[in-house]
Amino acid sequence: MILLVDMDAFFASVEQAHHPYLRGKPVIVCGDPSRRGVVTAASYEARPFGVRAGMPLAEARRLCPHAEYVEGNPRKYVEKSLELLEMFLEITPDVEPFSVDEAFLDLKRLPGRGQSLESATDIARELQQRIWDTHGLGASIGVGTNKLIAKMASGVHKPRGITTLDEERFRGVFWPQDVQALWGVGPKMSEHLKALGIATVGALAHAPAPVMEQRFGVVGEHLIQAAWGRDRTAVIPYHEGVDPKSMGHEVTLPEDCRDPEFLEGTLLRLSDQVARRLRADGFKGRTVTVKLRDFRFKTVTRQRALGVAIDDHGGIFEIARALWRENWRGEPVRLLGVSVSALEHGSEAQLEMFAGRERTKALQEALDKVRDKLGEASVVPAGSLAHRRVLGHVPFGAPQKRAPGDRGTGYGQGADPSAPDPTQLKPRLPRDES
Amino acid sequence: MFESHNDPVDVLTAFVDGSMRPIRFRWQGRVVRVRKVTGQWARREGQAVLRYFAVQGSRDDSYELCYDARGPSWVLSRAWTGPA
Repeated sequence: MILLVDMDAFFASVEQAHHPYLRGKPVIVCGDPSRRGVVTAASYEARPFGVRAGMPLAEARRLCPHAEYVEGNPRKYVEKSLELLEMFLEITPDVEPFSVDEAFLDLKRLPGRGQSLESATDIARELQQRIWDTHGLGASIGVGTNKLIAKMASGVHKPRGITTLDEERFRGVFWPQDVQALWGVGPKMSEHLKALGIATVGALAHAPAPVMEQRFGVVGEHLIQAAWGRDRTAVIPYHEGVDPKSMGHEVTLPEDCRDPEFLEGTLLRLSDQVARRLRADGFKGRTVTVKLRDFRFKTVTRQRALGVAIDDHGGIFEIARALWRENWRGEPVRLLGVSVSALEHGSEAQLEMFAGRERTKALQEALDKVRDKLGEASVVPAGSLAHRRVLGHVPFGAPQKRAPGDRGTGYGQGADPSAPDPTQLKPRLPRDES
Repeated sequence: MFESHNDPVDVLTAFVDGSMRPIRFRWQGRVVRVRKVTGQWARREGQAVLRYFAVQGSRDDSYELCYDARGPSWVLSRAWTGPA
């Protein structure tokens, strides 16, 4: 049996647990509340007002002006996530962290327990209570015969729900629902399916296999099986790890901008952040993607595949800038993002083929050592300074007191410009906001 | 309202069983007694590790304190002292 533990409104709940006065109130976690940006997480008290993650902050303020707007702290949430992981590992060694606020637990190796849905549900109930008692956090848990069912069951009753489904009950619950309710079917796939007359999960289950295969290839058969609640994917234990598929960063600009120098400085900063993460985890990538959202919220993503895998900010920036220049029509820009995919473990051999790169590599290693010792802001690409100045990212890591209205990020939260953006806390599951 | 401050503060600190906890601190001319530590986390800055504590004061007030061993020094990073 498999459990999927999904923490309820995780970031907002952590803030409520840390600050009791926030409990029972609408809480909206965001970037610096004095700037423009998007909602990172909304507590359940804020949701009846229509506030959702990803919504522009200005809209959230309109819908729920009396909410508490709290600047998110990614490090805090990651640390809490790791504490929860430790708790899950006390139950079973077969834990697969699925994102910062979700994890699969495979109970197959538990001696004498967890082998039936009833027994697994008991374990889920105990775990839910333990999470509440220890951390003051709510969790919704899906119990299923496979990962797909557990994952989808976890969303049936929220917050603090426990839903147990086998394949038959899965079909009873999900077959009448819109096809997009199926895990793995996004808005675009849903459009394609509906164009074929497949509007519900049940209709997908009964779709003709040849048609699905012709239209979607191997994914077609997989979708039909999923619609029946069938999934043979194994839980990959934490200690075995899974390589990420991509690494990326994006930023909503303080205000819409059409200054090419500032925008390119921003791309440079993002490229630097991505490169640093790649090197820290020993990866190089063969595809660079740039994301551009204009003032009308129209989002364009463009990517370029490379002949060699790279992990240096200069190389990433060069491609990102070229893609940006090809696709920017001079409109005011709201958001920029850079990511690298087609990742592979770093290979020294490729660099050695280019003798001229030895110097660059040595310089990069030296700079990495400086940053490892003194912090991310100790050395930054000069071209990104204009961007950093606006955001208050002060080089050399100087602690700064933030006065009201000051744009500085200050000493505590966010002084480190390479600290993960709350919206990017799922590095293994890059999420496209578009 | 939750407000960022980043004010240097003096903190009376206890070390118990290898762990550290703030007992009381002086901020804006008054002494705040820590009723409860509601959360802890850490953030790396190069080799340095900044330790954060979410704490409750004696009334309906709430703070985040940051300890930087490099100083050593404490900073009150955020505070909530009442409705806006």
